[in-house]
Amino acid sequence: MIIERVLIFLLFMAGFSAIVGMKNIIKKVFALNLINAATVLLFILEGSRIGEQAPILGEGVHSIVDPIPQALMLTAIVIGVCVTALSLALAVRLYKATGSLDIEIITERLEREH
Amino acid sequence: MNQQQALLFAPIYLPLLSSALILLCKEFFTNKVRRVAEYFGMIIGMGLPLVVVFSLFGHIQTHGALETVIGSWTKEIGIVYRFDGLSLLMIVLAITITLPAWIYSRKVGPAHSSFTALLLIQNSSIAAISMTGDLFNLFVCLEVMGVVAYVLIASNQKGGAVFATFSYLMISSSAMVFFLLGTFSLYRLTGSLSYAGIAESLALLGSKDKALVAASLSLIVVPVLLRVAVMPLSLWLVDAHSRAPHAVSAILSGVLLKIPLFALVRVLAISELGGSIGLAISYAGAITALFGVLLALAQSDGKRLLAYHSISQIGYVVSAWGLALAQGLHTSAGILLLAASFFHAFSHALFKALLFLSVGTATDAGASRNVYTLRGANRMLQNQGEKLPLTMICFFVGALSITAIPPFNGYFSKTLLTYSLKGTLHYNLLTIAGVGTVASFIKLSRIFLPSKNTIEKVDRNLRPTFPFTIHLALVILATLCLITGLFAQQVIQCIGSVLPGKEQIIFENTFFYTAENLTKTFWTVASGIVLFFLAISKPGKRVLSVLKQLKGGFSDLFLGFAVALSALMGYLLLV
Repeated sequence: MIIERVLIFLLFMAGFSAIVGMKNIIKKVFALNLINAATVLLFILEGSRIGEQAPILGEGVHSIVDPIPQALMLTAIVIGVCVTALSLALAVRLYKATGSLDIEIITERLEREH
Repeated sequence: MNQQQALLFAPIYLPLLSSALILLCKEFFTNKVRRVAEYFGMIIGMGLPLVVVFSLFGHIQTHGALETVIGSWTKEIGIVYRFDGLSLLMIVLAITITLPAWIYSRKVGPAHSSFTALLLIQNSSIAAISMTGDLFNLFVCLEVMGVVAYVLIASNQKGGAVFATFSYLMISSSAMVFFLLGTFSLYRLTGSLSYAGIAESLALLGSKDKALVAASLSLIVVPVLLRVAVMPLSLWLVDAHSRAPHAVSAILSGVLLKIPLFALVRVLAISELGGSIGLAISYAGAITALFGVLLALAQSDGKRLLAYHSISQIGYVVSAWGLALAQGLHTSAGILLLAASFFHAFSHALFKALLFLSVGTATDAGASRNVYTLRGANRMLQNQGEKLPLTMICFFVGALSITAIPPFNGYFSKTLLTYSLKGTLHYNLLTIAGVGTVASFIKLSRIFLPSKNTIEKVDRNLRPTFPFTIHLALVILATLCLITGLFAQQVIQCIGSVLPGKEQIIFENTFFYTAENLTKTFWTVASGIVLFFLAISKPGKRVLSVLKQLKGGFSDLFLGFAVALSALMGYLLLV
């Protein structure tokens, strides 16, 4: 359990530092996906502390894992996809407006416009 | 589920339904049908919910909140929706501002049918936020509201607006991941997601795991406050609000800043720590009010100035709101503070929407947003075909409201707010902020001064027709500013009567017109004028130009978030 948690933490930190540190805005969007994924994994991992089987009730199925985290994460993933799609669309527009994906160049060029 | 409980969902489902209708008509029918569908959709999606909500007013007053579970599940499994006084007020606030803003957008844009549909989806999510009693459901609704806000800001196609949207999206979505982490940790601790369930388990836990509870609550509170734009979380706001189309700016500042704040009232009720969180936030709010107005004074762009004022005014609201939580909502002092906070939020929504729309119209006509150079805006509006100077009059109604001059609503809400804060540090900070507000609005009002260079008059017959919808929207908002001012006593009683307190708040109008309050207003205005002249003097200009340079870049957004999060956590661990 400890190893998984450490790995998830590392994934989260990698994503978070990339959002702040990376200059390319597409990479920032992917980094946002990374921290989303880390959170999803954390929920699923903690939900599986009790039980072993997938929470699909049928004959002979017992000792299922906690289904609530999985249900929640389905929704969170859907929201993540929406946000990713929207932010990529914005990135395309920014590229069209400024001719660059580098956040520093974008701010500089936009500032000159004003 | 009885009839009244079924009615609860009307403010959520009706806007969604009509937005689906509008989008359908947009895809498959001609322009004419599209138009009709838009108007029809607005009536169904905004008008009907308003009627429904008001019809429940009496019930709330006499019987208190209505509660129901979605899909008729049991309370432990399903999502609980609870309609109380605060939900009612939030829905009314949202619709009151959205309607005039939509009317305004009809002729000046963004006037496509997806814009109407987006506004409806947003109102649906606001209704859901106001009623939900489930932490994860709150997350989903906040995200829906957020996504709609991103699209609305980006509907101004210019690069600056797109970049503002991108920054807002990145910081807000990352913050919501932290919100999920907070939700997760509370779920692990209590095994429940509904506020009631969490509160019950936390009460059983007592002081055990206090640090963990404090950390998870901060993880939940700070991302929501990011939407409210309390400093240091307010860096995203200025670009987003000033670059969005005018109608969207009005909605962003009028509605979207306040809804998450009042939704937090219920979230914070789940733990005893809510009070100390409220106290911490109220200090942040008072400081926000002061710094926001200083930065506003330094701006040269008219809409940026208004955006900084939104930050400053939300600081007023937040400081009363936070103290209300600190006092506890079971005490009459707490209820008074909450009522004051909501009343100011409501008046701010009205006059800030009015200001954004009127300044937007004037700067569009003058083709410049620089308050130092733009002069004679009224003449330019005349050249655009405006017959009566309504834009200017409405601007001054808004300016007099925000600077708290009677009989407009700002005077009453600020007086009530400062009255309920008397004797605290916040009171002093907010009083100073009031002076700054006066000074910066004198600065902004100069766009209507006659210009030194003569502006040529366009011949009457050559002038374009001035869109009627602009005047209609402005006049509605200005009238509401005046009415909520003249009938402030009744408005406050209405707000107080639906809030959960047992004691009624009763005010005499004489309370507002005391010699003390009026002299205070006089001195505020007088020192505001002095401050204005200081600000346009040479040393003053130098200080302001330093302040003007203070704007955050992309990574500063995250720095602000990290600072806020660690400050709140640290504070909670210490108390």
